[in-house]
Amino acid sequence: MNQVYPFLAAGLLLNIVVGLVRILRGPTAADRMLAAEMFATSAIVIVLLLAFVTGSFALVDVALIFSLLAALACVTFVSRAWVALEQASDDAASGPPPGDRGDTQ
Amino acid sequence: MGLVGQVFDALLAIALVWLAWQATRAADLFRAVVSFIVFGLLMAVAWVRLEAPDIALAEAAIGAGATGALLLSALDRLAPRRGRSWARVWRADARTWVLWVPAVMALAGALTAAAWQLPAPGLGAVATGALEQSGVDHAVTAVLLNFRALDTLLEIGVLVLAAVAVWSMGPAPAASAPVMPSPTLPMLGRTLFPVFVLVAAYLLWRGSHAPGGAFPAGAVLGAGGILMLLAGAQPWIRSAEHGPWRAILSAGFAVMLFAAIVGALAGGAFFEYPAAIASHAILVLEVTAGMSIALLLFAVYLRGEPHPAADTDRQRC
Repeated sequence: MNQVYPFLAAGLLLNIVVGLVRILRGPTAADRMLAAEMFATSAIVIVLLLAFVTGSFALVDVALIFSLLAALACVTFVSRAWVALEQASDDAASGPPPGDRGDTQ
Repeated sequence: MGLVGQVFDALLAIALVWLAWQATRAADLFRAVVSFIVFGLLMAVAWVRLEAPDIALAEAAIGAGATGALLLSALDRLAPRRGRSWARVWRADARTWVLWVPAVMALAGALTAAAWQLPAPGLGAVATGALEQSGVDHAVTAVLLNFRALDTLLEIGVLVLAAVAVWSMGPAPAASAPVMPSPTLPMLGRTLFPVFVLVAAYLLWRGSHAPGGAFPAGAVLGAGGILMLLAGAQPWIRSAEHGPWRAILSAGFAVMLFAAIVGALAGGAFFEYPAAIASHAILVLEVTAGMSIALLLFAVYLRGEPHPAADTDRQRC
């Protein structure tokens, strides 16, 4: 069973890399934040899998901190950033909202 | 993990470089902040892969957690201004190409050359060899709070300076109250805050014999305080002098400095504890440093000097 874990971890990381498209394209701030939360969940599983592969169970603490602080990021986003970003996009109703511009350069 | 491990590392490296680019270059500030949070997350996974669980813990707690929340709530002040167009800055600034790019490349080259000439086995064997005299069973904690305690003292000093700088910007803005009040937030705060305290205490206790210690513990506790603030709780301030706040904010730095000077006066070197009481001294230092770091992160998050009169209209929890 242990031989499957590295493949699972690599698959989940591939999932994160593919999901980075959501952060790039949005379109709204909520999409980007949900993508980040999905990455946090995947990272928890990856770290737990690596803990079982390497047998160093101190890594379980890292997963524990991930899970606690992902909740904090989500709460901060909902109660602070989201409303501010929505207001900013309402103010600039004539132009595209700040979350919609897809340029990096 | 063999070949799968190499594929994993390659994916991780690509994602990290891409996210670092996004975090510094994205025109939209929110996208930059989300990229930074995910960068911290994957950086912690990278430290796990490099078999450095101590740094992974600190990175997960401070990089991905506390700093992410800090940047996310700074956005409501920055959002109306919109992101700067980096393309324009890039084109207009000729100095970038003549001055900064060569300077950064020269610095990177010098650092690489210096790293190349480091003695091969490093100091790991020396540190583990002297572990018995350090008072703790975990090499990283022994280095952080005994062998190289001066570095930790200076790190806490940087945090104290940051808190002083943020508070001297003026009173905390009124937007510290939740912009969107929700009945679920106080409930979430009440449910989760005890878990934050428990995990912080656990990490502090773990520090003496396994990865953990004051910095991750302080960051988790500070994050718990931020969660309570977001849930509508009021910071406990009764007077303009901030009551016991100042004492706790400076306790970590002060107690470490005191221990260092007492060690020096007792005939040893700066930060030399007698081996007999080293274990107790490190415990005291670790607890005070953890409390200070938690409150310092929380103080920085307030975005200004808190004032008891300014937050009378805030929802009580």
